[in-house]
Amino acid sequence: MGKITIAPLTRLEGHGKVTIKLDDSGKPADVKLHITALRGFEQFVIGRPAEEVPRIVPRICGICQTAHHLASVKAVDAAWGAQIPSAAEKQRELMHLGNMIHSHALHFYYLAAPDFVLGPDADPAIRNVIGVIDAAPEVAKKAIAMRRVGQSMVEATGGKPIHPVTGIPGGLSKSMSEEKRDELLAVIDTMIQYGQDGLDLMKSLNEKYLDTINSLGVIDTWYLGLVKDGKHNFYGDTLRFVSPDGSEKMEFKPAEYLDYLGEHVVEHSYVKYPYNKKVGYPEGLYRVGPLAMINVCDSMSTPLAEEARKEFAETFGRPANQSIAYNQARLIELLSACERAKELLEDPEIVSTDVKAEVEPKAGNGVGVVYAPRGTLFHNYETDDNGIVTKANMIVATTHNVPTMEKAIQQAAEVLFKDN
Amino acid sequence: MADKVRLGLIQLCGCSGCHISLLDLHEQLLDVLPNLEIVYAPIIADAKEIPECDVFLIEGGARNEHDEHLIHEIREKSKVVIAWGTCAVYGGIPGLGNLYDTEQLKKTAYETESTDNIGELPSDEIVPPLTNSVMPVPSIVDVEYVIPGCPPRPEINAGAIVALLEGRDPELPKKIVCDECPRTKENVIPETFKRTFEGTPDPEKCLFEQGYTCVGMGTRAGCGALCPSAGVPCRGCYGKTDEVLDQGSSLANTFAAAGDEALKISDKSALFNRFTLPAALISKKQE
Ligand code: SF4
Ligand code: SF4
Ligand code: SF4
Repeated sequence: MGKITIAPLTRLEGHGKVTIKLDDSGKPADVKLHITALRGFEQFVIGRPAEEVPRIVPRICGICQTAHHLASVKAVDAAWGAQIPSAAEKQRELMHLGNMIHSHALHFYYLAAPDFVLGPDADPAIRNVIGVIDAAPEVAKKAIAMRRVGQSMVEATGGKPIHPVTGIPGGLSKSMSEEKRDELLAVIDTMIQYGQDGLDLMKSLNEKYLDTINSLGVIDTWYLGLVKDGKHNFYGDTLRFVSPDGSEKMEFKPAEYLDYLGEHVVEHSYVKYPYNKKVGYPEGLYRVGPLAMINVCDSMSTPLAEEARKEFAETFGRPANQSIAYNQARLIELLSACERAKELLEDPEIVSTDVKAEVEPKAGNGVGVVYAPRGTLFHNYETDDNGIVTKANMIVATTHNVPTMEKAIQQAAEVLFKDN
Repeated sequence: MADKVRLGLIQLCGCSGCHISLLDLHEQLLDVLPNLEIVYAPIIADAKEIPECDVFLIEGGARNEHDEHLIHEIREKSKVVIAWGTCAVYGGIPGLGNLYDTEQLKKTAYETESTDNIGELPSDEIVPPLTNSVMPVPSIVDVEYVIPGCPPRPEINAGAIVALLEGRDPELPKKIVCDECPRTKENVIPETFKRTFEGTPDPEKCLFEQGYTCVGMGTRAGCGALCPSAGVPCRGCYGKTDEVLDQGSSLANTFAAAGDEALKISDKSALFNRFTLPAALISKKQE
């Protein structure tokens, strides 16, 4: 029996390695994705004052740190029973959208686009973002501009573009200035335009690669996403599962997550495999992230993105099971994030200084959920009478997808090995 | 270094935030990149083997044996090694893991309420075993430079790269965060300490003097005092200055001026050494 190892896995955040065991006829018999890093956040937030935790957990991920900051502060709010002012809720949401815009632009243009723009067969030495800058400078410039605006949105509301700090129990430590609001308003229409340009680029690539998209990494899984009143929402309040064929839906609130989500320890990876508990392990494995979000929602909450979603559903079906369709789904979300940011920037409350309610630390248990750029993210803390963390659980975005990534790699390996 | 500099980048026990901060040069990237040949960078490119490099930026310290092994390999293959970001220089936030036994860290992670097969653990034969504690890069190999910050601001990254391109030594800010902070100080010692969410701080005055546990006076400058400017105390993410041996003890010294009140602050070890525990004089909880 042969064995192929791919290490390190590149162009992904985190540490991975793939091993493919081949049977006697040379077919891939067993594919394992090993995640090789563990830092132990669940343990070392214990003993910390709960208000400090939103300043610690962003270091789980330098790309979606804002999502961790916000899910964390939501969890502390919930544990202490804090009701936060509506202006703080809106400014937190804008912070979140800034992170979405930066991360989606990064993921599409810097990580995925080299394969599309330069072609999957291009020399690996140039098949990266620098190759894109050389081959298609106008694409690269738009990517850079979108990231810059996203990061400045986070800095304007969160105090720092990476690892923001303003989220405190009860609201925010500071409100956004009118000056920053005006700067962002001045560029947001251009970002919406760039969002549409990105989608057009993707659609033109679809024509070229549709066969690959429809054959590589196509798997049936459950999907998990976040909605509000059934609509797509990055900062939503309701979780929704959809079955692989789209016929079955389950909805739950963050506080009920333990009834719906289970995690399974596997020996070959430091990450646990999450699954839909109502279905069981491993049948209940599910995917999160842009594809899942587009699959679970009834509609997008902004007009241009909703048009794009309808078109997507016509091309890929509903639910779409093609892993590579993630890229187009991500671009629909990027457009939607820009549209929603504009709505918020035009809302007078976005510069209101009424952003913090008085809170008292107390014993409690709180769950905070947001949709991080790579998928739905859960933080859950228990605190004692002084508001010190006594127990923590985190289910972070990428881990949800690890088991199904493994399945997708297995499927892709079978297709690729059949052809060769 | 007249020709293109052969640059390597890697993320070990970090969060990739230092890499992202480099991308946050935005349009300026287009000026810097043409001078560099990025020969190894798993985050953005597909190279599998570590080649010979002129300059290697290591993000993150070591948390497992594989990280440790890579740090040695990078040292052998690079002319200049830079411990890049606070995790690499001092251990950073993952270093808070040193407050607990490594077995305990694993046990907690794999025994959450959501886990169905409690008692099973990833196999050390398949995934790289964790090291006993988080180790900063300079504690494993000699490095030419350190660039602290969680993450270092883009200007600091660019400044270091440009200095190297021009054949100069990169320089770090020598001052403390208080020197960059816009808040006014009256040199008073707080009578009691408050937690960040308590009350509403005066927006003009020093947070420490108002009783908030700001640690800017024991922290290297460079960020532009981002946190106190956003209404929350500094947590020390740039680490210590060159003047002192240990960030925690220098902070403890300042806070001690408040007498017994300072003793009442909860969780002092993770406040004074939030980002630097693995490089502190006492760097690991003793059994
Ligand atoms: S120093 Fe900060 S930004 Fe850099 S890797 Fe460590 S946690 Fe991430
Ligand atoms: S608020 Fe903090 S950083 Fe600013 S002057 Fe006071 S102690 Fe220094
Ligand atoms: S104020 Fe302190 S904690 Fe905040 S970024 Fe600067 S050095 Fe880091």
